[in-house]
Amino acid sequence: MEDLLQILRRVELFRDLTEEQLEQIGKISKREIYHKGETICKQGEPGDKMYVVSLGQVEVMVRDSKGNSYSALYLGVGQLVGEMALIDEGTRSASVIGVDDETVVYGIPNDRFTALCVSDPEIGYIMMRNIAQDLSFKLRHRDFDPSDT
Amino acid sequence: MIYKVSYVVKGGEYPGSIKNEYEEPKVGSRVKVGPIECEILEIQQIMPPRGDFLFLHATVVPVENNKSEEK
Repeated sequence: MEDLLQILRRVELFRDLTEEQLEQIGKISKREIYHKGETICKQGEPGDKMYVVSLGQVEVMVRDSKGNSYSALYLGVGQLVGEMALIDEGTRSASVIGVDDETVVYGIPNDRFTALCVSDPEIGYIMMRNIAQDLSFKLRHRDFDPSDT
Repeated sequence: MIYKVSYVVKGGEYPGSIKNEYEEPKVGSRVKVGPIECEILEIQQIMPPRGDFLFLHATVVPVENNKSEEK
């Protein structure tokens, strides 16, 4: 558990949580290992959990309406992926694939996360604020134009 | 300090990357954006720090492209 807590402390999503609150998050998190090219979650499928990247990188692949797939973004250590399905309860907006031979993520099931937020509204507020800030950062990343600098 | 960095690849040919760094990224240093090795051209802070986190944009260029431009 201590190893997991060390990892969680360095993830912005969990910023401002107390050690006790982090332990509660740790209890509902499950370590998953993927290899290069393995699918972590698939576009269009129901989203039942979000993931925190702990080791390596993941590739976010989007399939457009014509069926063409393109790489939209890479996410590395400490980043959150799959949170949109938690927020809007829709299906996966993209597929996520392991980039490195050892890609490690922690999966947090939506139902257990929601139950934790309801039972401890302070965790709920902090986590929802941090998820919103992460989404904002991703929007800034997407909209950034190097030619403007 | 943890540096949350948005790496944007100049030219738009490759997707960018977001990841945490535990050492401050510097202009001229190299970083892997997905499978592509890139060199950092420019860094800017994009929002105020929060807690232990600093938020940065880094414009990068694939190393191979940069070599050919130098020739």
